[in-house]
This record gives sequence, C-alpha cells and structure tokens, in this order.
Amino acid sequence: MSETSTASARPRQDLTNRAPAAARPEAAIALEGLHKRFGSDAVALDGVDLTIREGEFFTLLGPSGCGKTTLLRILAGLESPDAGRLTLGGRDITQVPAHQRSVNTVFQSYALFPHLSVRDNLAFGLRMQGVSKPERESRVAEIARFIQLGGLIERRVDQLSGGQRQRIALARALVCEPDVLLLDEPLSALDAGLRGQLQVELKRVQARLGMTFLFVTHDQQEAMVMSDRIAVLDGGSIQQVGSPKEIYERPANAFVARFMGHDNLFPILARDGVRLNTGLGALTVEPPEAELSETSDEDSLLLIRPETVDLRPLDQAGANCLPARVTDCLYRGSHAEYRLAVGDAELQAMINNRGRQLPSVGDRVCVSVAAEDLVTLADEGGT
Amino acid sequence: MTRHGLHRGLRVFWWLTLLFLYLPLAVVVLYSFNASNSAAHFTGVSLRWYYRLMGNEALLAALGNSLLLAVVSSLIALLLGSLVGYGMFHHRWRRLGWLVVLIYLPLVLPDIVFGIAEMAFFVQVERLTGWLSPGLGTMVIAHVSFQIPFVALIVYSRLVGLDPSLFEAAKDLYASPWQRARHFLVPTLRPALISGAFLSFTLSLDDFVISFFTAGPESATLPIYIWGAIRKGVSPEINAIATLMIAAVVLVAVASLLLGRQRAGRG
Repeated sequence: MSETSTASARPRQDLTNRAPAAARPEAAIALEGLHKRFGSDAVALDGVDLTIREGEFFTLLGPSGCGKTTLLRILAGLESPDAGRLTLGGRDITQVPAHQRSVNTVFQSYALFPHLSVRDNLAFGLRMQGVSKPERESRVAEIARFIQLGGLIERRVDQLSGGQRQRIALARALVCEPDVLLLDEPLSALDAGLRGQLQVELKRVQARLGMTFLFVTHDQQEAMVMSDRIAVLDGGSIQQVGSPKEIYERPANAFVARFMGHDNLFPILARDGVRLNTGLGALTVEPPEAELSETSDEDSLLLIRPETVDLRPLDQAGANCLPARVTDCLYRGSHAEYRLAVGDAELQAMINNRGRQLPSVGDRVCVSVAAEDLVTLADEGGT
Repeated sequence: MTRHGLHRGLRVFWWLTLLFLYLPLAVVVLYSFNASNSAAHFTGVSLRWYYRLMGNEALLAALGNSLLLAVVSSLIALLLGSLVGYGMFHHRWRRLGWLVVLIYLPLVLPDIVFGIAEMAFFVQVERLTGWLSPGLGTMVIAHVSFQIPFVALIVYSRLVGLDPSLFEAAKDLYASPWQRARHFLVPTLRPALISGAFLSFTLSLDDFVISFFTAGPESATLPIYIWGAIRKGVSPEINAIATLMIAAVVLVAVASLLLGRQRAGRG
C-alpha cells in the first residue's frame, strides 16, 4: 500500500474499502511552530504545534477569531504560514500549492459551482486530476450511493436546499479520496434538527471510511458529539488538546472551562495539601496525580461541575458538605437547575429528577460534592 | 379618495411617458412607408424607399463598415476589458483607486472631447511614423478604448458578486491556474461576457461623435452616412433605414429575452 501524497499519482482505491488506519500510519498531519499574522498587528496563529493521527476525527474548537479557520486554511494551502512547518504523511507540504495537495475542503458556504450540474460538481476534482471519463462516472456513482444522494445528482445546484447542498459538498470532496478532509463549520448554516441529523451522518461516514477528518467549529456540543480528539484554541494558540471527556471534565485552564460552559469557578484562597479554602467554604480534593503536581502550585481556581453537585437535607452532613440556601430553581422536567448561596459565593447545581422530593426556593440544604469530581485549574488565558 | 386620485395621476403619467418615448419612433416608421417624398403629408402606403435603399451602394458600404467595426472592436474590447476587470478584482485589496478612476474616466468624458483627443493623437502618430492614417484601423482603436471600461465594469461586478469560496474550491479541487481559468472563470463569467460583448457592439454601432473624428474618407459608418444625407434634407430613405434599425433592435431584444427564458427553463 504505497501511497504518495501527490494527488494525481495515487493508485486507485475502492473508497469504501480503504485500508484500516493502522496500515497507513504515514498520513498523519504534523504542524510545527506555525505562525501567521495578518497586517502588522493581528496575530492569527502564535506558534501552533499539533499532531493529528491517521484516521482520527479531530476538531479545532474555539470562539471566532481564535485562529481555527486560519489553521484549516493553511492546511488546505489557501494561506501560507509566516513561519513553521507542515507535514502530511511525513512529507513537507509547507510550500506545495493548494491544487497539488491531497487535501479537500468542505467550505462553510459549500461553494458549489453554480454553472455546473450536481453531477459535474461531483466530478470536478477528478476531471481536473485527469481521471478518465468512465472512471469518473463510476466513482461519482459510487459516492452518490455511499452518501445516498438518490435523485439529487440530476438536479441543478440552485434547486437544492441547505442540507442537500451540504451533502453534495461533502460528496464532492470525498470522491477525490484525499488523505485528509477539512470541514470548515459545515453545519453552522443549518437549523438545529438537520444539524443533529448531519452530525450523526458525518460521524458515520468518517468511521466507515477511516479517513482523517479535521473539523472546525465554535460549538462545544458539536465538538464533543463528533470528535475523537479536540484542540481548544484561543488567541492563536492551543489551550488544550484531548478527548472530549478530558476537555470537558478536566479543562486545563479557566478559558477552556468557561468555553465548555462551566460557570462554577471559584478562586482558591488558601491551600494546605488536599484541603482548599474557597469562598464557598473548606473542601477536600483528591491528591493531585504525579504529572499534575508540578502545576498544582499555580492552580488558582476550583471548578465544580453543576451535574456533580448533590443536594441533601441539612442533617445529613458529611465530608465535603457545605450548608447552603436555595435562591433560585428552574424546573426542566428531566432535571432542575438551582442557584444556591454558599458561604459568600453563588453556586449552580443541576439535579436529576429521580422522583424524590426536590428542594424549593428558600430551603436550607447541604451541598455535597465528591472529592474526585473537583478540579483545580490555572487562571491563565481567562477572559 | 386622494389615494385613488394619485393612482389615476400615476397611470396618466405612465402613458404620457410611453407616448413621449415611442411617438417619434412611430412617426419615423409611418413615414418610411409614405408614397410621396414629403415629410409633412402622408399620401399613401408604398415600399419605394425600401427599394431605393437596396440600390444605394454608398449606404450599403456604410452599413458594412459599421458592422465590421462593431464586430472587430467588440471582440478586442471583450478580451482586453475582461482582463482589466479580472485584474481589478484580483488586486482589489491594493490601493488602486486612482487606476480605477483612470479606467472609468472615458465613461463620463464627453464624447466630443474623447473624439478630438483621439483624432489629435492619431494625427501626431501619423506625422511622426506614417502609421495610423485615418480609416477603419483608427476607428477600431478609438472604439475599443471607450468599450473597455464597460466590459471591465460588467466583469468586475460579476466577480465581486461571486462567493469568494468558489475560487478557493476550484484550487482545492486540484485545478491548476489554467484549468481554473478554463473550467471555472470563463464558464462562470459567461453571462457577463455575453452582455459585455452585446453592449460593446451596440455602443460601437450607435457611436457617431468619436467615429466622426477618427474616420477616414473611405470608412464612413452608417451614422456618419445618415448625418451626411440629412444635411441635404430629411429624405424618406432615412426613415426607411431608421425603421430597419428599429426592427433589428426589436428582433435582437426579443431573441435575447427568449434565449434567457429558455436557459432559465432548462432543467
């Protein structure tokens, strides 16, 4: 299975029958020290190092202006970095122009050619690479079956809905069988229902092809649902790389925590081993793991995820129990969202509705959190 | 009640406008079929002025010149103008305001200034080099130079209206620069190129002032011929030419309308 990165010279592979990821370890992406600035003062990327594994669904997550789209465009060859190196499957492609990279993009606006039919749009990349007409036709038919385009292939581009355009754009990129597929917020223009449906479909396509997908989004829910690994970006640099579980449950700093939707962040006023003193009261955390102990001195914030909080009657005090008063309660059916006054701070809690009595506003309760659910983190990069 | 009155007023205004626009044309068409050569009395229907036209060699030569000039100049202007339009689009982030003004200046410059300038230039060039003596050659150059801004403007506005991702999608899908021009730019710009060519053709056919200053003794175009003929009094022959031109324009307009409708309806 010798696969060169030059698009036109690649041997034909059956799309749905690609070699498993382990057999093609060479096609991973490595970014080393990427810098990019626009104009004199706007820094888009500030020294990005990143390795993306073969066959991985990798997501770049961050707010607008964080550099995620610039990073994607550099990979596509649509921007060139001011400094740094970019390798694809071990081959340096930093200077290779976009049309010679075995990388295809699903654009945010889909960018379907209005002067061509759906069928000709799908065949465009193959035609430019000089693939013969019979082979073009069979590969287009194959991808149309795989993405289940059905009768759409006979339509004109201006007769398609947003969701249909999205699937055509995906098929047009996939039919070229790139080493990496880049997706630039491809679902952001769709309504919520369709979005969820296409998230599942994209994930299914990626899993079946075993192709490396690099997905860009600002939506942390979308990133968590779809990704094998996520890189959170802010201000042109990477804040954290990890699995959705790691990013959500163990955010590296306050920026990542807030971006993942965590509001329960409390300054640590004093620390004595595993005993912390915060505005909420005194709490015990698990002993830091060996690798974390170096940074633990700098950790200045405590994160309590709302769903890890339990509310108990005041008389059932125990370890990590803090007296509190319910100030607000939103009943949501499957769960209830609470605001609690604890010490001189406010804490948010999410309590699953398991049929037992839920406390109401004004009740005095005991807030209970398990030591292993408490996370300490650095305040750097915060907003 | 006042609203009703306003509507009636607007309707009357609308009919007056149409009358104002088309009544003179109707008079020309009517008198082209006049049996007598009077411009004041209509004495009966006849095709005699049309027969006279067919035998008028000077007029047929002028018509031939007009068509040749219009076709050649529009083709050259199409090529150069679309390159200018693309260049303006491609470098739109640079500070090229002054250059754009220079390119568009001929659009607002009075024809007479432009015509005299062209003439003076050609006279100087001929005096110094012996080239560019007045004739169809100088007329083509003059026409191309006023057609370019129109083509450039049409191509530029079409390019600006396109989704910028389309250019990137073509690159991303392995198209080399030449392939992008052939398989993406030209087909995408086709409507703009066609209307740019039609506009150039019409402008050239219609032009009198600039043609007048740059023409040679053998290169009179139809407008120049008509102007010369009218100095001897309005002949019904002129009415016949005008009627034929109106008919030609209506035919072209209807054809382009039908063509556009057919394209829109094609599945």
